[in-house]
Amino acid sequence: MNLLSLALRNVMRNWHRTLVTTLAMAFAGIIMILFAALMEGLMQASERNAVAMNLGDIQIHAPGYRDDPDLYTRIEQPAALLESLRAAGFRASARLYGFGLAASGSTSAGVQLRGIDPRAEAGVTQVHRHLLQGRWLDSGDRDGVVVGRKLARTLGVVTGDEVVIVSQASDGSIADALFRVRGVLKSVGEGVDRAGFYLLDTAFRDLMVLPQGAHEIAVLRADRDTDLDAATAEVAALATGYETLDWRALQPVIARILELADAQLVFMLLVVYVAVGMVVLNAMLMSVFERIHEFGVMKAIGVTPWQITALVFMETLVQVSVACLLALGLGWWSARYFQLNGIDLSGIASAASIGGVALDPVWYARITPDALLLPVGFLLLIALLAVIYPAVKAAVIRPVAALHYR
Amino acid sequence: MRSALHRFGVLCALGSCLCGGAAVAQPEDGQAERATQILREVDDLWRGSSSHARVAMQVKTEHYTRNMKMEAWSKGKEETLVRIVAPLKEKGTATLKSGNNIFTYLPRTDRTIRLTSGMMLGSWMGSHFTNDDLVKESRREEDYDAYISFEGERDGRQLLEFTLLPKADAAVVWGKLTLTVLAGSYIPLEEIYYDEDMQVARTITFSDVKPLGGRERPAVLHVVPADKPDEYTELVYESLQLDIQLSDAMFSLSSLRRR
Repeated sequence: MNLLSLALRNVMRNWHRTLVTTLAMAFAGIIMILFAALMEGLMQASERNAVAMNLGDIQIHAPGYRDDPDLYTRIEQPAALLESLRAAGFRASARLYGFGLAASGSTSAGVQLRGIDPRAEAGVTQVHRHLLQGRWLDSGDRDGVVVGRKLARTLGVVTGDEVVIVSQASDGSIADALFRVRGVLKSVGEGVDRAGFYLLDTAFRDLMVLPQGAHEIAVLRADRDTDLDAATAEVAALATGYETLDWRALQPVIARILELADAQLVFMLLVVYVAVGMVVLNAMLMSVFERIHEFGVMKAIGVTPWQITALVFMETLVQVSVACLLALGLGWWSARYFQLNGIDLSGIASAASIGGVALDPVWYARITPDALLLPVGFLLLIALLAVIYPAVKAAVIRPVAALHYR
Repeated sequence: MRSALHRFGVLCALGSCLCGGAAVAQPEDGQAERATQILREVDDLWRGSSSHARVAMQVKTEHYTRNMKMEAWSKGKEETLVRIVAPLKEKGTATLKSGNNIFTYLPRTDRTIRLTSGMMLGSWMGSHFTNDDLVKESRREEDYDAYISFEGERDGRQLLEFTLLPKADAAVVWGKLTLTVLAGSYIPLEEIYYDEDMQVARTITFSDVKPLGGRERPAVLHVVPADKPDEYTELVYESLQLDIQLSDAMFSLSSLRRR
């Protein structure tokens, strides 16, 4: 018995029903692929904004610095530590932090001075590519600084303007210096947007009279697929005496949201596909009831219950396969569209942020293998689950009763 | 002295208290009237309509020790100008307090900056005084109620102790202040600042009483933060003139830049 040709013939016998069932499944699949791709896009944007804009995978601080960010709580030998981190295959960047007052014209605002080495920082974060206007720091331009978006607005500065920084240097003297805005960042996160003031580490050391030490070392795994916990343990072993935390511990809110996002996707899949499963169940049950007489004849001529079960499953499989192919094609196509043309939310929410990490106002989808295969796989699973009852129903028919069934 | 302190704002300790004396104290206390009377008297004794002083400041913290010399002028209660004379790195740096505003002139960058509210609790010139001290100093009268909490002999001296409690709606960072003065001359000895949990936050001790600005005044103020007993800020008055002629232009933004 050729199961496939038999199933195909049966499916085509009531092609209206087949078309509706298949389209229902395909539609649900398309929607879920699009949803998964959009969720993936949102999560990747959040993680990127958290990890790639500022955090890095892992951070090292002197003990107590995170509770009380004090100019004097420093990692004393950052150069040696950076060296050993790089030797172990990590990318690492030392950062200096301080607080000061930035003034331009008659306006002023409190800022967080962020002294960085642009070359090392570019290996760890992507913030240098996230400019609204102007250019990123350059080690040749000692007076050049890059400021957060809201800070630029507060101070009323654009690229090329002068900003004065006043603070208290580590020797207690007044630290003041004139800088020129090289660039303004796009929205990165609440903290950086409002007070982020990036300057060269050398300029920071001069300004704050801080010849050595660093306040933070951000570390990035060279290979994103390696285990974060193992990498954190490895970094911690290199940075003995200091506090080593991964970004999930540094930004627990974001980490939780990302974890929940996966659960949310599965939940959505279940809700939508239970409805689809009902459609499949109903359609197949109908088709079984219509053919009770036929199944009776089949059994009478020696077709086994297993073969009948297999036939009903095959009929469903034919429909769901077509639906899956449609869903993959059209789902990919629609997700692709939103991957290239983001949904502009700036009209609805000007600056949304999760746990202090800003979200781009334009929401892009992101097609990943998971985003394509998870909805399709679930569709297959649900359809095959839904057909168990009709298939069993057909398999256990008693031939004599079925032959007389009207 | 009052005006000298006033001009510093920083020296808020004494000045403000004296100022605070003008505030009316707890009404149920029969002594309230007398406290007000005395504090007002003390205040009048110490206050000049204007002043000019040379002061040396030494700041010692866990991380640095620094010595500065400055020159300061004041007029009335609201206007104070402080200019740093030494060290060389900060020479010419000037702070102007005018009403509730503080402006800082930075000679190296040739800029004048108005401090925002966020900077008010920051250290003034690296000392144990905050910018807020500078601003609030002349507002004590409005912010606190004063009464005499002790009167009599202590450590062999006749003393008066005043307690200043912030008024209910006053936006102040302290929970309570106490000021001890000598009973006869009203020379201040000690002022203690309490935080909102009524724990001692800092202590200002006045010493080295000598002729200054035409009468006996303590020339040294020694400030110790309670949480860091090894640190201090010490102000030493080298000279003081009171009730001198000062033009209003002295306390303008343009005069800030003058060296």
